[in-house]
Amino acid sequence: MSSRQTAVKTVLWTIMGVFAVVTIARFANGLGAVTHLSDAAPWGLWIALDVMAGVALAAGGFTLAATVYIFGLERYRPFVRPAILTAFLGYAAVAVGLMYDLGLPWHIWHPIVYPQLHSVLFEVAMCVMLYLTVLALEFSPVVLEHRWFDRPVFRTVHRLLKRATIPLVIAGIMLSTLHQSSLGSLFLITPYRLHPLWYSPIIWILFFISAVGVGLMMVTLESCVSAWLFHHERRADQLAGLGLAASVVLLLYAGLRLGDLAWRSQLRLALQPTSMAALFWFELAVSALVPGVLLAIAAVRRSARGLGMLALMAVLGIIGYRFDVAVVAFSRPAGASYFPSWIEVAVSAGIVAGAALIFLFFVERLRVYPEEPRAEQLPVAVRHIDPYGTRPLLPSVLAVPRRYSMGFVIGAALALAFLPRAGWLGATAMREPVSPARVVPGVVRALGATPGYHLAVMSAGAQDARVAASVGLLEIDGNRDGRVVLFPHDLHEADLGGAQSCVMCHHANLPFRRNTACAGCHRDMYSPTDVFDHGSHAAKLGGNGGCVRCHPNSELAKTRATATPCDRCHADMQLAGSRVRPARTFDGRTISYVDAMHRLCIGCHTELHQKEPAKHPADFALCGNCHRDAIGSSFQQLAPYAVVEHDVPSSTRVGG
Amino acid sequence: MSVKAILTDTTLCTGCEQCVAACKRVNGLGPDRPYRWQLRINDLSATRFTTILHRDGQSVRQQCRHCVEPACVSACLVGAMQKTPEGPVIYDANRCMGCRYCMMACPFEIPRYEWSAPVPYVRKCTMCAPRLAEGKMPACVEACPQHATIFGDRDALLAEAHRRLRAGPGRYVDHVYGEEEVGGTSVLMISSIPLDFLAARAGVTDQPLPELTWTVLSKVPPLALGMGGLMAGVFWITQRRMKLQREPEDRDREPRSQAAPGKADSARPIEDGRHK
Repeated sequence: MSSRQTAVKTVLWTIMGVFAVVTIARFANGLGAVTHLSDAAPWGLWIALDVMAGVALAAGGFTLAATVYIFGLERYRPFVRPAILTAFLGYAAVAVGLMYDLGLPWHIWHPIVYPQLHSVLFEVAMCVMLYLTVLALEFSPVVLEHRWFDRPVFRTVHRLLKRATIPLVIAGIMLSTLHQSSLGSLFLITPYRLHPLWYSPIIWILFFISAVGVGLMMVTLESCVSAWLFHHERRADQLAGLGLAASVVLLLYAGLRLGDLAWRSQLRLALQPTSMAALFWFELAVSALVPGVLLAIAAVRRSARGLGMLALMAVLGIIGYRFDVAVVAFSRPAGASYFPSWIEVAVSAGIVAGAALIFLFFVERLRVYPEEPRAEQLPVAVRHIDPYGTRPLLPSVLAVPRRYSMGFVIGAALALAFLPRAGWLGATAMREPVSPARVVPGVVRALGATPGYHLAVMSAGAQDARVAASVGLLEIDGNRDGRVVLFPHDLHEADLGGAQSCVMCHHANLPFRRNTACAGCHRDMYSPTDVFDHGSHAAKLGGNGGCVRCHPNSELAKTRATATPCDRCHADMQLAGSRVRPARTFDGRTISYVDAMHRLCIGCHTELHQKEPAKHPADFALCGNCHRDAIGSSFQQLAPYAVVEHDVPSSTRVGG
Repeated sequence: MSVKAILTDTTLCTGCEQCVAACKRVNGLGPDRPYRWQLRINDLSATRFTTILHRDGQSVRQQCRHCVEPACVSACLVGAMQKTPEGPVIYDANRCMGCRYCMMACPFEIPRYEWSAPVPYVRKCTMCAPRLAEGKMPACVEACPQHATIFGDRDALLAEAHRRLRAGPGRYVDHVYGEEEVGGTSVLMISSIPLDFLAARAGVTDQPLPELTWTVLSKVPPLALGMGGLMAGVFWITQRRMKLQREPEDRDREPRSQAAPGKADSARPIEDGRHK
């Protein structure tokens, strides 16, 4: 085995190590934990690259099969086997990629039992499934040539399969035509979401033609890489022929795409100085224009480097085309963006690496590249003496597998090291720290006949005849997102009975502070907060000796669950007259700010409404009674104070 | 049963979010959480099937539009999304395979996914289809204190919407949103501001989206058979030509021209190279 192969395979096995770890994270914790997919980007890297681009790159299989078997161009026969193997592995990779991307991969067989003839995706699913079978049958004669299968029964199967070659090839071409184009048809239903430079009524034709072009380029690229990897002679004549064919197809694709835009008078969009227009031209140039034009030049086609680079360019360009359609040029709500997470990249890379390893496995053992007698060329593994250790005792053939194992383990270790928190624990809500409510000058305006008030933030020095009184308003907008509740603190205090009423709401204070604000302990908008300070408790209780005060049972693990509840010592946690009842098992974790506010306000308002319905009508206890800010106002800019009035209130009643 | 619909008049909506609260209660959705994929806490999400958007001083309720010819239903390859004869577009979690094509296809960007769950499902408003079956109204309609959102037969609501437009010219944009868009929707809206922002892009036409797919999809059988026929024809021609080329040589040797075309191929040394 050459050192090139060993090096490449070590890299591939390292990727497989990463792949193994992220696979577990993906299936244990779900899509949201490991990907950057979102409701704004339901399809991401996996669909664009593994499925849509993967299928396109595998188009070499049916293209070459048609060229050789149907059109009878025998000189391309050496490319057929690798092309069909690539296609088979490509489609297998698509299936594996789908297993990662589907939310419920164990339902992948559902299209068979719940067929929906109106769905393009159903057609794609059926074609891909059938074509995968056809490719397996097309390639299996190569496997059956192996000496292991040199038995009468396998020889019969082999003969039958060879006889079925032409029907299989034609079936493969039919299925490929259908689903290569259908992957484009998937987007026919998205005229309002796909950018007009990519959306087209003939997108299915564009997908098919570009797939044929990139299939040819992929076969070319693969042949160049194999020649390098296995030290083969490059088949310059045939490769140049493939290059010329690809040039024609790619230019046809580019012409059709531009012609379609011009025909539908959308081409002007491409001529405007927008980022999407730039992306369009860049993508079209890389995928078709540059390779198409340059490959039309005979000298370029015949140069190893020129052909290889242009093939790579076209391959990347068509991947870009699929990526643009599925992700970049697809509409998203303002503010939403998508860039794949490294785990998404790792899964895609892992699938490709796996396919590449299987490809190499077959190439090393079967006659995939038919005319190079390869087994004889393999260098005999050389036994060497290692003076330091056990290696001579082991068969030397294990030396290289051990290197692969090392790569795998290093890859797995790297993945574990960089696995994000969500990869271990699943997706968790983000933190949203709370800021205390602000006091703003406000006005209270009596509402005439109806009981209640109209509250408004007052502009400095503004005169308003209707103003009944000035008042300090608490602006409760914990996470400063522009949604605010105006809270007339003083009016509540007055209505609820003066200074004695403080404890009704202010149920606990942080040490050395008076009148701790709600945000002092309920520090996160939507998640619980830990307010327990272990260090100060330990210090106060005399260091390690004090542990038993809270952790009385030495046999139990020292957790919150087994610790003494806080109110066993802090008897004053429950103040007389307080509306708030901390749980008996309070363990130092406070509820979220939103929950705290809602429980406090809604509880009291609902109770008052039930007690005195005449004084406190139904909407006194409704959300809108307090949340009346959002319409047309922004409290982010407080100075200079603008008059920001609420909509005409049906009732804003505070106490009476 | 006649086609049911919801009519929302944004000029009556005060944005009190009672509909949201009722929806959450009836569907057991629980609190919203600020996940990574949540742009705003009050956006539609797997825990919020309807929400109030605030535009130009108006409160606009966003929910599934229950299209008459829904793109999501057309897109679904396992029939998990279904259009019921009564109007609601419902979702069968037992069929879903999680491909999320429905989310891609929706012109109003409505369906949401349970991204945080290892076993995720698509979530969206079902117009309270189970409640309709019991003869009740959708929870959001029942909860609306202003009667800004009302429920009834689609035809009757269309008539009501047009009556309001006529009664208050100047109060409304002269358009019933959902009457014609994408072939009509079962959630109708009238408003004092244009509601084009509810669709992914302005300029939504009356053409039902499934038609766009079907024009191509219906060509699949002829396309497949045509391609197969073309390939078989080309194969026959190339084989015939090869045979004609070979015949002069073959006549001198053994009569190999009798061989079937497929065999002529497999007789090549490359193909026949089984290891012995």
